[in-house]
Amino acid sequence: MSARIMIIDDEKIVGDMAKISLEDEGYAVETFLSAAPALERLKEEKFDVVVTDLKMKGIDGLEVLKVVKEQYPDTKVIMITAFANLDVAIEAIRGEVFDFFPKPIKIKEMKESIKRALEG
Amino acid sequence: MKIASKIILSHVLSFIIIFMIGAFALESLNPMIAKLRFIEIADDLNIVFLEMRLSEKNYFLYKDENALSEISAKIKNTRDVIDSYSDSIIKVVGEGNFNTLEAYLDDYAKVVNSLNASHVRDKVSETRLRNAGKRLKDFSDEMTRLERHNINAIIFKSHNALFYSFFAILALVFVIGQRVSVNIVRPIKNIEEMANSISAGNFKRKKTALPKDEIGSVIRAINHMSEEISNRQEQIIQSKKLASMGILIAGVAHEINNPLNNISMIAETYEDMYEKLSPEQRMEFMGKVESETVRIKGIVKNLLDFAKPKEPERISADINEVVNKTLKLVQNMLNVSDIEVGLNLAEELPLVYVDVPQIQQVFVNLITNAIQAMPDGGKLNISTRLGKEPDTIETGFLDSGKGIPQEFLAHVFDPFFSTKEEGGMGLGLWVSYGIVKSQGGNILVESKVGTGTIFTVQLPVYKEKGEIE
Repeated sequence: MSARIMIIDDEKIVGDMAKISLEDEGYAVETFLSAAPALERLKEEKFDVVVTDLKMKGIDGLEVLKVVKEQYPDTKVIMITAFANLDVAIEAIRGEVFDFFPKPIKIKEMKESIKRALEG
Repeated sequence: MKIASKIILSHVLSFIIIFMIGAFALESLNPMIAKLRFIEIADDLNIVFLEMRLSEKNYFLYKDENALSEISAKIKNTRDVIDSYSDSIIKVVGEGNFNTLEAYLDDYAKVVNSLNASHVRDKVSETRLRNAGKRLKDFSDEMTRLERHNINAIIFKSHNALFYSFFAILALVFVIGQRVSVNIVRPIKNIEEMANSISAGNFKRKKTALPKDEIGSVIRAINHMSEEISNRQEQIIQSKKLASMGILIAGVAHEINNPLNNISMIAETYEDMYEKLSPEQRMEFMGKVESETVRIKGIVKNLLDFAKPKEPERISADINEVVNKTLKLVQNMLNVSDIEVGLNLAEELPLVYVDVPQIQQVFVNLITNAIQAMPDGGKLNISTRLGKEPDTIETGFLDSGKGIPQEFLAHVFDPFFSTKEEGGMGLGLWVSYGIVKSQGGNILVESKVGTGTIFTVQLPVYKEKGEIE
């Protein structure tokens, strides 16, 4: 069974582009524009990796991280953000994200990070 | 003169006046005592003189030869008294009168003695005796009368002097009070007014001659402080502008980063997946790149409009468009802070006559304040409508924040006034107020603690050239 990846970002293109490349790698990819429906979906099915934007309207990336760590401890979280801000990075790492990507993202690097997450 | 010296001087002056009055009273008391003493002596002498005249009478009427011896003894007695009090008597009546008295007494003694020796009662000797006695008694009476009169004059004079010095002291107290008021109380009042004017934001001071006392030093220090603040005022406004630019630029960087990331991801996917993409997909990708570029262009244009040089350039503008443009600038800040924006923009409003970038800066300041008043998110209602004042358009910014206590409301537009616990130099509203005022508008504030605050910006309506009065 192929690994399941969830991508949450309010920028539609981020999910669209990541989905094309990651599906090409053989992963099952689902994309969401906000966190609320994504968290609903997590209740229905197990995902191996959640890639989430940090700053979003409504529920933000740190809350997603908290929920996933509490309820789905096997699921790895990768954080992306438009703010290349060190404070946010430190806070995110403290919350045990698997990896952290400031925008602009290199899809190649993200693929490698997801690969490592699935191995580890 | 220093205030301390003035106080000492006024004390010395009071002391001198009181001392003079005391000395004067004492000065008029001393001769009075001497004269009273003389009158006592004179009264005694008058009694003796009267007794002498009685003895005379005995000699003439009853032919009593012993009477002459009695008179002689009394004359000797009187002489002793006069001699022993000569100093006091001379002091009062003068040496001339004293000598006259003694001469009259001697003359009287001589007549009595010659009669006593001859025992001859002739008309001439008797007349001499009577005249000498009478002259002595009259002279003594006259002296006594004169001195009583003098004492009355002295009492009257001291009474008058004390009466007038009472008024002199009153006048002095009044003058000193007046001087204290003019030299101390009034300058302190002036300093109070100066401080009030500075706290109202008026840093320009008139140069006037300073008094050379402590008040002068205080005024000099305040002027110096005020000058320093004035010199830095421009600097502060500039740095405030830079600070709000900084916040904006951080927001704008974030805004630009998103489409940039999108373009980068599209390009990478296009490159890696080229073979696997359908021609339609490739076209779609390029279309997306183009629309993301337009997005960046819009953001940059907004920023450029905002950052234009600050010479006010008033043009006719649609207030709703200004509001919408401003919202685009701060949209990200609002999203991140969980602020829901409600727009209630009136249709078909007349154009306003403003400097658009400057008014945008005011709106950014007001929105930033609203965001800071709602740290846990909330609702910001922005509305435009015809103003209550004629020829004005009102733009309202109503937040659902913690509100501003009534006692602070009057000060929100003062420089350096801030209710924010941290950060915030308290210049945003002051700068905004200055901008709006300079364009013929006004900012009003109403607030209710726990409910929220509304800032209302009134801006003038644009008039065609012919309409301008």
